[in-house]
Amino acid sequence: MLEFFRSSAVRLALAFVLATTVATTAVFGLVYLQIRDANEARNRLILEDEAAKSVDRPVDELKAAFEVRMTRDLRRIDYAALFDRERKVLFGNIDELPGIPLDGKAHYLAASPVRGERDRLEPAVFVARVRPDGNVMLLGRSLLESLAFRRIVQHALAAGLAPTLLLALAIGAYFARRASRRLTTIHDTIAQIMKGDMNLRLPVRSRNDTIDKISADVNLMLDEIMRLLVQIKGVSDNIAHDLRSPLAVVHAQLERGLESSDDEQLRAVVKQALSHIDRAMVTVTALLRLAEVEYGPKSSQFKLIDLSAICTDLFEFFEPLAASKSIKMSLEVQSPVEILGDGDLISEAVSNLIGNAIKFTPQKGSVNISVALEDGRPAIRVRDSGTGIEPAERDKIFQRFYRTASGHRVPGSGLGLSIAAAIAHLHDFDLRYSDNDPGAVFEMVARGKQTGGSISQANRPAG
Amino acid sequence: MEDEGELAHEIRIELERLGYLVRAASIAEAADAARVGDAAMMIMDRIVFGEDSLKTLEVLRKEGIKVPVLVISALSSIDEKVRGLKAGGDDYLAKPFAMVELAARVEVLLRRLEDLRTTKLRAGDLEMDLIEQTVYRGETRIDLLPREFKLLEYFLRHQGRVITRAMLLQEVWHYHFSIETNVVDVHISNLRKKIDVRGTPSLILNIRGAGFMLNAHA
Repeated sequence: MLEFFRSSAVRLALAFVLATTVATTAVFGLVYLQIRDANEARNRLILEDEAAKSVDRPVDELKAAFEVRMTRDLRRIDYAALFDRERKVLFGNIDELPGIPLDGKAHYLAASPVRGERDRLEPAVFVARVRPDGNVMLLGRSLLESLAFRRIVQHALAAGLAPTLLLALAIGAYFARRASRRLTTIHDTIAQIMKGDMNLRLPVRSRNDTIDKISADVNLMLDEIMRLLVQIKGVSDNIAHDLRSPLAVVHAQLERGLESSDDEQLRAVVKQALSHIDRAMVTVTALLRLAEVEYGPKSSQFKLIDLSAICTDLFEFFEPLAASKSIKMSLEVQSPVEILGDGDLISEAVSNLIGNAIKFTPQKGSVNISVALEDGRPAIRVRDSGTGIEPAERDKIFQRFYRTASGHRVPGSGLGLSIAAAIAHLHDFDLRYSDNDPGAVFEMVARGKQTGGSISQANRPAG
Repeated sequence: MEDEGELAHEIRIELERLGYLVRAASIAEAADAARVGDAAMMIMDRIVFGEDSLKTLEVLRKEGIKVPVLVISALSSIDEKVRGLKAGGDDYLAKPFAMVELAARVEVLLRRLEDLRTTKLRAGDLEMDLIEQTVYRGETRIDLLPREFKLLEYFLRHQGRVITRAMLLQEVWHYHFSIETNVVDVHISNLRKKIDVRGTPSLILNIRGAGFMLNAHA
């Protein structure tokens, strides 16, 4: 969940919701203020205008007008009254002159007694003006109604805000999900590419938005990396290729020299040179082998093979070697675990793993080989009780020529695991390392469910 | 047949040193030599000047010419080995190889025609019965595991010849890849413990820098 909120897409969506909320609230607030102000200004203007127009009218006319006005005022919002010079009421529907300047301007009174009802107060606007005869004319308007109106507007706006927010949230969530799903796909693809599936590419849609453009760029970069990789590999393969004959020739010449010379000093030097050339030949052979596996047989040539049988043979083959180091070697196999594959290659891969396990396990240690079907996936495991591999080195052990700090003391080409990984890859298996605590576990696990199994059960020739 | 002059030269020197008469030849020359029965065996490079010599080999085999052929090649994959053997090659050696490896294989190939039908193999007082699947050293019966039996059988069939580790891997265990441990040596030493008699020299000798040899008269 925390991961979800941390993703940039979700953050963007939340920012979007926030922005929408702020903008909508601002617009609504502005509308509300405008309505309120306009309403109030209108009330004031009417009152001031009325007061200006009626101030000169004779008293009788005024009284008649007031009466008409009050009769029409069904909602009881109008106030009108005439006061004498002593500010006593002459007629009208208000008894006391409120304390406002007698300047003919509208004045707001927050608490004015409600007409006909004691103890109730209301906001109102009043205009008081001194008539030419010295009397004071008072006009007023209750603001209760406009208050109510304002409240209605408030409610309406508030009610409108909620759906807007929900909508913004929904849209934000939708886009966040869409974007995050695309980003997740991209992330997963990149993870797989880093795991070695160099042929994968990021999805690019025809719509060509920013993410598509970036994906296309990344794909271009991957193509370029692939090209360089192939080139580098080609170069090293070519070097290995070209080194073979000279190595063989030098080896032969040294051997010949060794036999024809009696000079002990010279012989010692030649012997040393020969052992170095032997090592070079091992490396060259392994490199070429790796190249062959990587560009080599396609799965169309695969046959049905039994991993259990292969590992049992290898167990018997390696057991004496383990015994010579007082290593206890054990084997756990189920009944046949069949896959479509190349038996020789699988033997080679597993023999590399077992050879390594024995190499890196001290005396009196143990090495275990197991073949199993796990959730329908064939898996071969080679465990040992040796030194294991430092966490910092775990990513590198499958690289060409990589040798662990401890591995440098043990002879070998440094390509065994690369070859095993290439073979695993060819069979759609993953070769992985995990900790055996102490020691190492190398496991070759099929990426998919067993392909040959059920078919083979049915098709296996009788006998 | 070899398109890399120096390597051909070395092969020639090595084999001549062992007492063979060696002639370098083009594919056509080699084919002619094989047809007239001039060669006891042939060493063929897979690719000679861009030409695949396996085609010639196939033609020769179709003509019924049985001369043993060792195919050497830059291609080391098992598929290529299988192709080489299917085309009629008797053995297949991938470059780079040591000359002892080549020499050992040549000697084995030259001896291959003999003793295929025998049911008993002997070396001094060691006797192997292929039908009964038993081994006796003098009067003492020796119990061998199936793989040890095969290993010993291979040595008995190639007595007095240098046997390399790669040959044993290939012929006894059918593993066509190199193994960077001394596991073969351990198997040999286990076999020695079973067949050797205390106080006498071992039947199977270590040949430095090459491999092993079973020699009853050592």
